[in-house]
This record gives sequence, structure tokens and C-alpha cells, in this order.
Amino acid sequence: MSEEKTKVADIDRSLYDFRYEEDERDFLGSGITADIIGALSDEKGDTDWMREFRLRSLEIYRRMPMVNWGPSIEGLDVDNIVTYIRTKSRMNSDWNDVPADIKDTFEKLGIPQAERESLAGVGAQYDSELVYHNVRKEVAESGVVYTDLESAMHDERYAELIRSHFMKLVPPTDHKFAALHGAVWSGGSFVYVPAGVKTEIPLQSYFRLNARGAGQFEHTLIILEENSSLHFIEGCSAPKYYEAGLHAGCVELYVGRNASLRYSTIENWSKNMYNLNTKRALVEEGGKIEWVSGSFGSHVSYLYPMSILNGRGARAEFTGITFAGEGQELDTGAKIVHNAPDTSSYINTKSISKDGGISTFRSAVTVNEKAVGSKSSVSCESLMLDSISRSDTIPVMDIRTDKADVGHEAKIGRISDDTVFYLMSRGLSEEDAKAMIVRGFADNVSKELPLEYAVEMNNLIGLEMKGSIG
Amino acid sequence: MENVILNRLPVPTFRWLKVNEVSRAENEFGTGAENVIQPDDDARIEITGGRNRLVINAAENSRREAVVFISGSEGKTVVTEVNAAAGAEVKLVQVYENSGAANSSVNAEIAENAALELIQLYIGGADTVSGINAELAGRCSKFRADIGYLLDGTDKLDINLTARHSGKKSSSEIAVKGVMRGHSEKIFRGTIDFLKGAAGAKGKENEDVLTLDETVRSKTVPLILCAEEDVEGSHGAVIGRIDENQMFYMQSRGIPEDKIYEMMARAQIAQIAEKTGDSETIGRVGAALGGGDSDEQLYKE
Repeated sequence: MSEEKTKVADIDRSLYDFRYEEDERDFLGSGITADIIGALSDEKGDTDWMREFRLRSLEIYRRMPMVNWGPSIEGLDVDNIVTYIRTKSRMNSDWNDVPADIKDTFEKLGIPQAERESLAGVGAQYDSELVYHNVRKEVAESGVVYTDLESAMHDERYAELIRSHFMKLVPPTDHKFAALHGAVWSGGSFVYVPAGVKTEIPLQSYFRLNARGAGQFEHTLIILEENSSLHFIEGCSAPKYYEAGLHAGCVELYVGRNASLRYSTIENWSKNMYNLNTKRALVEEGGKIEWVSGSFGSHVSYLYPMSILNGRGARAEFTGITFAGEGQELDTGAKIVHNAPDTSSYINTKSISKDGGISTFRSAVTVNEKAVGSKSSVSCESLMLDSISRSDTIPVMDIRTDKADVGHEAKIGRISDDTVFYLMSRGLSEEDAKAMIVRGFADNVSKELPLEYAVEMNNLIGLEMKGSIG
Repeated sequence: MENVILNRLPVPTFRWLKVNEVSRAENEFGTGAENVIQPDDDARIEITGGRNRLVINAAENSRREAVVFISGSEGKTVVTEVNAAAGAEVKLVQVYENSGAANSSVNAEIAENAALELIQLYIGGADTVSGINAELAGRCSKFRADIGYLLDGTDKLDINLTARHSGKKSSSEIAVKGVMRGHSEKIFRGTIDFLKGAAGAKGKENEDVLTLDETVRSKTVPLILCAEEDVEGSHGAVIGRIDENQMFYMQSRGIPEDKIYEMMARAQIAQIAEKTGDSETIGRVGAALGGGDSDEQLYKE
């Protein structure tokens, strides 16, 4: 018998753990000062309102206290983070025009291949700037706009639309890192889906942070008009350095009447990254937002997509999985605000902790006075794979009406001996039985993803299921 | 006068939810010298004001019971200490009857094979802040809490319960049933904390809240903290009106809707009172619930 061990392996990051030397002359400098932000505005050719917005956000950032209720972020030296790195080329819509090392990075991550095979459009951000954006001809002809946010801001067709939506859902006063984002944001995508247009195949943005000791602050703004639909996929990765990196992006989603948006994320930042991302959706009457979220990477994560159900019958679904391994503290979950009658929400999450990893599920469901007849259901399950890890569940329900149904259930535990015994009595080895249970545990998210991404997720989880029990 | 911070959540969460702690004026909960009550045997105690400390020491393999009624409009503090030695069984009943501002705390040490059964009933209450901490330090130690509350008008109730499991095969079960009317406000924080080494521990927690007016405000914060692999923890919460199927069944039996709510509200609290097995408690809670209609009256429009 071989000495192979059954173990749930750490996520294999070798695929993502490569880098190219950035050109240090491209840095505006490290730190967060009015001068650097002014230089960033010059670099971007910001309009007057955006210049003022950045400086106002900087003031708010300086005033606001540091987060003190979640995982420690003491290892993050925000004041010396590099907030902006200029790209080596303009944004391209032809893959052949992308610089060789950047192209090679995304080739290794499989982005162009995915575009050819299964996507309606792709955006690729390298450090602070979009380097590639392309959308299929037939999708563009239907009126769908998928472009980088900065050039859209300078396009008179979209400038006013963007101004009236930019950081309105996540104002800089929301929290310290939202303020930081408002001051130094760079890159990101703008998507506009006209009324009645159903986008059958997904769009994808991929964010890659290559530079050492840098931050990535991309802004994603998606607006769906009534009766439209879209599936948007977001992927994130970075190579590992010794200095801490910061991702403080912002996602704002506007879902119109009877529109439907699915927003899927596979996040695999390296283990030195602080992922302090803010995502929020506003859903109008009869609309629907679906979040599918896989959190695997980063040293520390604070990630709780929020859905504001503002119109009668609006719906939100959140399906998530978090895998915390050695040296990781992943604090994830979801927030739902029921603001209108007959709204409904469903949160279903799974988390796995191993090798000293800490996973925390945190949620907030608020049912306001107007949300008569609303329903909410929250279900979270945690699996502890050893006793040096930690798993916490911190949900809150705030109910302000009598005519609502709110349910919540949570479970925590290990792989059940009884279940293993049952499967073994059906002829499976102990190793195979445990493997089957862990695969089944993660199934709720993988089945919600397009096939290519489900395969990637299974790759990420990297379950090694061979040999004897260890 | 300075404010005091009470009912701090073991692990803080989003600040905007305002559930991490409560702050109250120090003098709101009674003044003067502390009145220490340390009964040698089963006890029946009435508290109407002031600062009070109740100490229950249950010797090895003994059985102790205490029933405490807390009432009166005066502000008061009621600190309860329970030490259950190995194999001891303690039953503590606390009934808050339309009390003025009250700061209540129960701190229990539960040794090997010992058990604490805590039954608390909050019938009204201008401003009650109640903290419960059960230390399940002994192997096979047990803690069971049944909590019922009936709030109306501008009643305020803030509960922070923590069951800390450090003993192997320790178990906790927390069942909370509540009825809210008027402009009443409530926060229930319930934490099951599995510390490292509590192998084989089990914890279960449930809250069932019936909200009867659109002006109520109910916050539920059920935490599970886990640093041990070999444990089983679960929590559940149901907040809202009566289940549609239950309502349909009772209407099909000829009971009008408003009577159904009245009946269910009384039943939520009465079933906790019944668990005390104490006739005085059942009688006093029954009187506070208003006696209610006879079965015959229930069927009349």
C-alpha cells in the first residue's frame, strides 16, 4: 500500500504565482497625499467634478477611523501603498497589440481562451489600468455597452449617466476604504444594458495585480435598464510578495424594473493581499440580483456584497463559498436591506477552515417598515477540518415590521463519522467517503457557475483524495 | 453621571447595526448598598429595587432551586452567581413582572456532570438589560435556558447570553420565545462559544418571535464561535407572523384571525411558565397574560 495521505490540500496557487518586473519609473510614488491624487487626476485627465470628488474623498479618508470590528489589518501599511501604476500601453481591443509580458500573464490565466469559447466580452486590468477590452459584435449591436469606465466618463454619450451613478450607492462616507477608493480609484469597467436586451452569454473582467507593494482600486459600474438581463463574471489574482498588497475595489450595480443580473466572482488573491472590496446592488421593482461568490485567496478579506431591494417584489440571492487555509482570515458574507413590500432574499453559504485558517460568516438582514410581506431566509454551514483552525458565524437580523417572515439556520461541525461509516458500508473506502463528503459540501457554488469556472473552482479547492487517512 | 457599557457582544460586528453593546446611565439601575442574598436551601425571593446580589452555591451532587420575582417601578440591579459543583443540579427561575429599569446578570460556573436549568420570563419591562454567561468548564456539564418575553407599549429588552464550552462533551440548549406588540424594542444576542479542547461538545440555540404590530423592532444576533473541530453547533431563528399553514388550519377550525394571534401569543409565554413547574409562577404569569378567553369564547367573533 502506498503512503499517500488523504488530505484536503491547500489551494494550489502555482498557476497564479508568477510575475513580471514592473517598470518602477511608472510609479507616481507611494502614499496617499493631495499631491499624488492631483498627479493622478492629471494623468487621467479628470473632469473638474472628479478632481473635486477625489480630493473630497481624501479628506473623508483622513477623518474616518480605521475599521476595528473585524480581522486585524495592522500588517497593511496604507500610507506607503503605491496607489497608481501607469500601463505600458493604451487600452487595446486587439489582443495582438497588448504588450508581450502582460499578454503572457493573461494567456497563462486562460482569459483569451475563455473569451473565444464562452464569453460575450472581456476586460482585463493589469495593475491600475485596463489593458484590453473587447465585446462581441452582435452584443455591441444590441446596444450593450461594455468598456473601460475612464474612457466612458470622457464620452459625452455616457458622461452624465456615469456622473449620476458613480459612488452614489457606495458613497465615500460609507467606510474608510470606500473613501480611499473615491480618492485613488483607477481602471474598472462600465456596462450598460438597454431596456429589453437579454445578454445570453456572460461578460467577464479579470483583475491582475502584478506590482510589488501596490494597491488595486478598480471601479465597476453596471446599469441594467428594465426587462434586461446580464451575467457578469469577475476574476482576481496576484503573485505573492513579502510586502502586503491591497485591493480596495468598488462594484456598483443598478438593476432596473424586472431586470436580472447575476454577478459571479472567483477571487484568488495571493496570501499577502488585503482584500477590502465593497460591492453593492440596488434592485428596482420585480428585479433580481444573484451573487455567486468564491473566496479562496488573500491574507485578510472583508467582503459582504449588499443588496438593497428598493422596489416591490425585488429579489436577492447570495450563494457563497469561503476556503480559509494557513495564514488566512477570510471574513465574508452578505448584507440585505428590504426596503419595499413583497421583497425576498436568500443567503446560502458554506465555509471550510483548515491548517489554522479562520473563516467568519457575517451577515445583516434588515427588513424596514415599508417591507410588508417580505421574506428572508439565511442558511450557513461551516466545516472544520482540524482543531487548529477557527470558524465563526455572526449573523444579525433587524426586523422593523410585523408582516415579514424571516428564517435563519446555521450549522457548524466536522465530517460526520456516521456519514463516513454509512458510505463505507456501501463499499467506499474511508478516503473516498471523506472526499465525496467534502466535494458535496462545496457543490452549492460550483453548480451555480458556468462550466469553465466550476472547473477552475474545483482546481482552486485542490482536493487531493488519495491513499490512507492522515 | 457616567454611562456604563453593558451586554458587549463577544465578537463585534458592523457598527451601524448598533448591536455590539448598550450604554446606560450608571444610576438608572438602583443605588445604595448591595443587598447580598445567599440562601442555604431552596429559595423564593422578591426583589423590588436597589442593588442585589444572589449567590447560589450548590455542593457536589446536590439539588438547588431558586425562584426570583423582580417587580416594582424603581430601578434595580440583580446580580446572580451560580456555582454548580460536580454532579450538582441547579434550577433558577427569574420572573420580571412589568419592572422598571433593571440590570440583570447571571454568571454560572458549571462543573463536571453538573447542570444549570435557567428559566427567565420577561413580562413587560421599561428597560431591562440582561446578561447571562454560562461557563461549561466541566466534562459533560449541561446548560439549558428557556427564555420567554412579552413586550408591549414602549417596553425595551436587551439580552446578551453566552454559553462558553471548554469542557469535553458539554452541552447547551437555548430556546427563546417572544411576543412583541406596540412600539416595543428587543435585542437578543445568543452566543455558543466552543473553545479549543471542548471535544464532543454540542450547542443548540433557537429564537421564535411573534411580531404583532408594525411598529415593533426586533433584533436577533445568534453567534456560533468555534475553535474546536469535534463539535456540533446549530442555531435557528424564526421572526414574523404565524405560519400560513398553521393559520389556515386554525381558521378551518372556526377560530377568527385576531383570536388566533391572541391565543398564540399567550401560548408562547405560557409554555415557558409551565416549564418552571411552580404553581405561583404559572399563576402570576397567567394573571399578567390577562387570563384570556375560555375555549368557548375563542370561537366567537
